[in-house]
Amino acid sequence: MTQHNHDNSSMLSQGIYIFVYLAVLTALEFGIAISFDATILLVVIALVKAVLVVYYYMHIYQLNAEHEGDEDSYEYKSGTNRIGLWLFLISDTFVFGGLMAMRLNLLGLSHPNLNQFLGLIVTTVLLVSSFFMNRGEALMHAGDRKGFITNTIVTFVLGLGFLIGVVFVEWPNAMREGITPSSGVAGAAFYMMTGMHAFHVLTGLIFLLVVLRNARRGLYDEKQYPVEAVAVYWHFVDVVWIFFYPALYLIGSIAK
Amino acid sequence: MIKKNTVGSGLLLLLIAGVVGYGIGFGLDALVSGNTPRLAASVPSAFALLFAVSAFFFGLYGYRGITRGLTWQVVGTLAGALLVTGLRLLMGLKGNDILEAKFFFSEPAWVFGGLVGVISFLAGVGVMDDWTKWALGIDTPDHHEDAPGWEKYFGVSVDHKVIGIQYTITALVLISVGGLFALIFRTELAQSGLQFLSPDPTKFNVFNQSGPQMYNSLMSLHGMIMIVSILLGISGIINYVVPLLVGAHDMAFPRMNAFAFWVAVPAAVLLLMSMVLGGFDTGWTGYPPLSARAPVGVQFFFLGVFTAGWSSILGSLNVIATVLRMRAKGMTAMRMPIFVWAAIATSIIALTATQLIGLSFQLVMFQRLLGMGFFDPLKGGNPVLFQHLFWFYSHPAVYVFVLPGLGVISELLPVFVRKPLFGYRWIAMSSLGIALVGFVVWAHHMFASGMNEYLRVPFMYSTMLVAVPTGVKFFSWVATIWGGKIETPTPMLFVLGGIIVFLIGGISGPPNAMVALDLHLTDTYWVVGHFHDTIFGGFVFPFFAAIYYWFPKATGRRMNEFWGKIHFWLMTPSFFTLTFGMMYVGLRGMRRRIADYDPALGIDTAHLVMTISAFLIALSVLIFFINFIRSIKHGEEAKGNVWNSRSPEWQVPSPMPAHNYEVPFEVVGEPYDYGLADSKYVEFSAASGKKH
Repeated sequence: MTQHNHDNSSMLSQGIYIFVYLAVLTALEFGIAISFDATILLVVIALVKAVLVVYYYMHIYQLNAEHEGDEDSYEYKSGTNRIGLWLFLISDTFVFGGLMAMRLNLLGLSHPNLNQFLGLIVTTVLLVSSFFMNRGEALMHAGDRKGFITNTIVTFVLGLGFLIGVVFVEWPNAMREGITPSSGVAGAAFYMMTGMHAFHVLTGLIFLLVVLRNARRGLYDEKQYPVEAVAVYWHFVDVVWIFFYPALYLIGSIAK
Repeated sequence: MIKKNTVGSGLLLLLIAGVVGYGIGFGLDALVSGNTPRLAASVPSAFALLFAVSAFFFGLYGYRGITRGLTWQVVGTLAGALLVTGLRLLMGLKGNDILEAKFFFSEPAWVFGGLVGVISFLAGVGVMDDWTKWALGIDTPDHHEDAPGWEKYFGVSVDHKVIGIQYTITALVLISVGGLFALIFRTELAQSGLQFLSPDPTKFNVFNQSGPQMYNSLMSLHGMIMIVSILLGISGIINYVVPLLVGAHDMAFPRMNAFAFWVAVPAAVLLLMSMVLGGFDTGWTGYPPLSARAPVGVQFFFLGVFTAGWSSILGSLNVIATVLRMRAKGMTAMRMPIFVWAAIATSIIALTATQLIGLSFQLVMFQRLLGMGFFDPLKGGNPVLFQHLFWFYSHPAVYVFVLPGLGVISELLPVFVRKPLFGYRWIAMSSLGIALVGFVVWAHHMFASGMNEYLRVPFMYSTMLVAVPTGVKFFSWVATIWGGKIETPTPMLFVLGGIIVFLIGGISGPPNAMVALDLHLTDTYWVVGHFHDTIFGGFVFPFFAAIYYWFPKATGRRMNEFWGKIHFWLMTPSFFTLTFGMMYVGLRGMRRRIADYDPALGIDTAHLVMTISAFLIALSVLIFFINFIRSIKHGEEAKGNVWNSRSPEWQVPSPMPAHNYEVPFEVVGEPYDYGLADSKYVEFSAASGKKH
């Protein structure tokens, strides 16, 4: 299907390298944010992280792949589906872009007073889940269905952990601190942005379940596009968080 | 064909269910609210409406397709609302007594119910069946064969031609609803003072609204229903025509195509429900803080627009993927029919910007539901932010409306002047140019809003810049017509009418773009006149042209020429009178969105003339409808290349077979070389099967 299909071990090790880069950048981001005020640096780091994920985990270059065969072949249809998925992601980006514009307009260079430790934990959990998703996809393309299922289960568990961490730990925690949806714009922006993101995580988890169930029954041994689609969607949710995390936790000073 | 007795039983059931629904609602209303029962109260009317419409389709079509969808929507709405009501009771939350007495449920219950209703509709109509099966690992056939006859139009079909017609008919239905609303408040405006929309609740009280309130609701809904109708109308043309023009057997994602159409139906129901639930007085723009305080109807308005937005987004996604992936052999970018370029340009905007209107309305919804202070200055929010988010879609949206129309004009002109289209590349690029410049002009709606002043001049210039690609189009049209052998059948009349009306819309635009002038013109009827000129010229005239032009392709029959010409010659002068009147009263000081005006302005006569013109337009559209319906069965047969066009869809007999071209074609020449000897655009041969 793609060029690195043939070179499975290099794809697996590439996934590990990229994950290490992402982890180091996240640690750097956090370190910078708690030591001094450097918004531009945080923006640059977020952009680098996003590019890494979009290129190496979401394989955006596959949009350019040439497909042999006529219009009714599975290969060609997968190419069309891939374009459809990316168009949807572009559209979805405008939702999150709009939320970001709302947050910048209302809060400027300040962020709600949230629990930094919790924020770092959920961010790490989501990042690790992206790593396992990538690993699962690579194994599936190499024909290792079992490896795919194991890694996808780990992804699912981590994703669920992120969702619980945000909605059932972070939200009540913030509410105890007095940041409620109606307390002011900082709270409003926080719940709206994390809520919209959590909704996407939830749909991603549902897609993961669907793909897991069908993979177990061997439906994707030949026709693997659904595996790629769910992985790309899952990484997209991660990319959104790459921007939302600094926007809500790190940049600027603490909002009143 | 539709049998008389099915229509009859549909209408009979409509009456019975209407009465039964009204009775149920009336009883509930009296029981719950404890008010003196009023005949035109909201809840009985809502029940009557929903029951009647569902019953009509039941009589017509049986319990499947749209009937099942509507029934499930009613049940889903009630179930969702009851669930929230139950939860609120358990949590000990106290509702707003006045609200619940008036509208039966609390606001969160209505909103959640509305959302569940939409999802239930989609499940009920069966548009997600294949996806559910795929998720469960069950394979489905690639194509579903539709039964012949009319019944396929009332249920889920994945054939782009059926969906295109479904879109077009729904758009026409909504155009009549929106037009009817306009006629009602136009009648009120015929004379200064308030005549039948009386402020006295004992004289006028429909759906719990007094006369001026009703005026506001009608005016607001006229705007949004027309917008949704236009979005469906352009989707109708694009869906029917684009796969035929590019030589595809269907859209890239046929099931999503069906989904995009069917999601618009519950959206329309929600929009109409907003009228019953107290209406809303914000205009179609829904600006907070007014929309944060409007009756619960505004939530249904938000939800309806949000839902309709998905139709637009998914439809345009499909168009882009189809054009990128499914073109015939040899159809390079610069050999695509020009309408396809217009469809692409419009889809780029609809795919991306639509999310922003959905988001801005969602933010107001949540502000109302949870007290989130996005646009509430007391909580640090910013009402002007809403306007930025809103206009980021809603200005490009007018290019979504007009670009396909301008594409229709460019597509049809060469056919009727028998000459090549002048400057093909420039027209193609001007569509993209309008779309892209359209993204950076939104704040020209906000010159008077109190936004940062330094933003005014850049937005003024970017707005003026739109005139450049638009001017390119006009130049090309004039150059195409120049020296041509002009034929004027009905579609061509509407094309020429569209050019002239759009020209006037275009010329009346720059005064609004100038900050200095706009501060005086903003919110006057001048703007209303300008807007109606652009949309009639850019959408309504080309839409009618497209219907007259492609009607034979869809049905194998032509619409009546004589009545088509009557339609045109009645509508065009009336329309000019109406919009020139609008601009005139606007310059004389008439405010937009206001039910009344000062007789001292001296514009009573002008208003009377405008009202008469509005009724004449309605009459011309009525003639169109009668012609349309009659021609389906009794029109003159037209199975061949009626317009002597070079376009591929006319090289095969009408109506089009289910899977389009039985023999694929290959593009071998330029699309618009009319009048050039020995030139061909497409060549049909079994060998031109698509290999990529």
